[in-house]
Amino acid sequence: MTSDLLLLIFRVLIFPGFLFLLSLTLFCDWFERKIMARMQNRMGPTYTGPFGILQPLADYVKLLTKEDITPRRVGGVIFAVTPVVSFALFMLSAFYLPIDGLNVFHNVGFEGDLILVLSLITLAHFTLFLSGWSSANPYSALGATRILVQFLGYDIPLIMLAAGSALMTGSLSLREIAAKQSVPLAILMPWAFVPFLLVLQAELEEDPFDIPHAETEIVAGYETEFAGRKYAFIRLSKDLQVVFGAALASNLFLGGPYGPLLFGPPAFWFTFWFVLKVLIVIFVMELIEAICARLRIDHVVKANWSLMFPVAVLSLALTVIAVPWLRGATWIELLEAR
Amino acid sequence: MLRVGLTNWARRKSPWVLHFNSGACNACDIEVVALLTPRYDVERFGILLKPTPRHADVLVATGPVTRQCAQRLKRIYEQMPDPKFVVAVGACACSGGVFRKCYNVIKGVDKVIPVDVYVPGCPPRPEAIIDGIVKLLKEVGG
Repeated sequence: MTSDLLLLIFRVLIFPGFLFLLSLTLFCDWFERKIMARMQNRMGPTYTGPFGILQPLADYVKLLTKEDITPRRVGGVIFAVTPVVSFALFMLSAFYLPIDGLNVFHNVGFEGDLILVLSLITLAHFTLFLSGWSSANPYSALGATRILVQFLGYDIPLIMLAAGSALMTGSLSLREIAAKQSVPLAILMPWAFVPFLLVLQAELEEDPFDIPHAETEIVAGYETEFAGRKYAFIRLSKDLQVVFGAALASNLFLGGPYGPLLFGPPAFWFTFWFVLKVLIVIFVMELIEAICARLRIDHVVKANWSLMFPVAVLSLALTVIAVPWLRGATWIELLEAR
Repeated sequence: MLRVGLTNWARRKSPWVLHFNSGACNACDIEVVALLTPRYDVERFGILLKPTPRHADVLVATGPVTRQCAQRLKRIYEQMPDPKFVVAVGACACSGGVFRKCYNVIKGVDKVIPVDVYVPGCPPRPEAIIDGIVKLLKEVGG
């Protein structure tokens, strides 16, 4: 009983919980900046540690030790609490991912944790909106309303496309969805995977959808008034959001922690494939970000309701039509476990 | 001891910059922007250009500070969280430059806010600006 409790505490705090996800987040931040820089023919962070790999750590330590300013007329408690709450919500939703075959709470999850995770990140987006709204700054308010416009619109296609892979595997549990993909769903149903990546780009506020913090228009959007450690937590939750989004995409469409090569200690190989697939998805998303310019806000809304939404509906319909056919095809033993 | 060392290391390795034009002719501003281009790429040193004073550590100010700009410059400086530093870029920002006889300028950033590093030149080369920031960081790191 005590050893179970100790194991749980170890898993939540160190591996594969808080510390592991935090270092993965810092690494992915460096990875993104480096890819972005190389795509723009620059060096990127170079002199902070080997290949500049400690750059995110330096940024966060510096931000945490800076003066913590609370401007007059901000929304008191909400302004102080939202950065930490959004970080905690993203961290909690990442805990439900099967990182080493099991989720962080050391069980196989439950039927429906996909829905729980999707609603948690919607709540986290709303917290980001609140952080901008409570800032008492016109630029923050503009950024906050832009978050709402963008997220409320793109959450719907995101959930519909995620439902596609749940339909295909016949399960709403993240681990079951990952485990049942002997062939990655990205190959079986590219009509869901490609729009999912685009929608994810909008959810993560990356180019061409970075209007909530468009520097040339509205200073820094909803982050404008945050300084010191509050900004550190906002930034950390943004970085964690990228990792979580990539992990969700790899879990739903690339088989998550299950890879073609598994021998020896399964916990090691599961984590290896998990990290590798997350990095691949992040690479693709950064590629899209580097080659795209920012859309205008009305274009983003139009692209959402007159393009992504019908595409998501069509993709879901196609999945529903294709499921019996793919299940009948014996060469894919996708659903034999059912 | 370790905590102080870590803090100094982090401050030295990640100076985020806010660029403010207090009435310059735009030549210095183009040189500052050139720092971000692939040729000079100051992100190598961890330097990022930030859009808001709340996120910045170093205020890079150009121009002779017109009377109208002085209050804004001061307010932007006050909005930055401590510890904060100021780099005056260009002959105008150091002493008023060619505009020093004009009736509407205050002749230098240091008349309004404390300046840590002066980078003279009309305009200074990007290498000179990098040199100025590196000298500033040496002072920070101890």
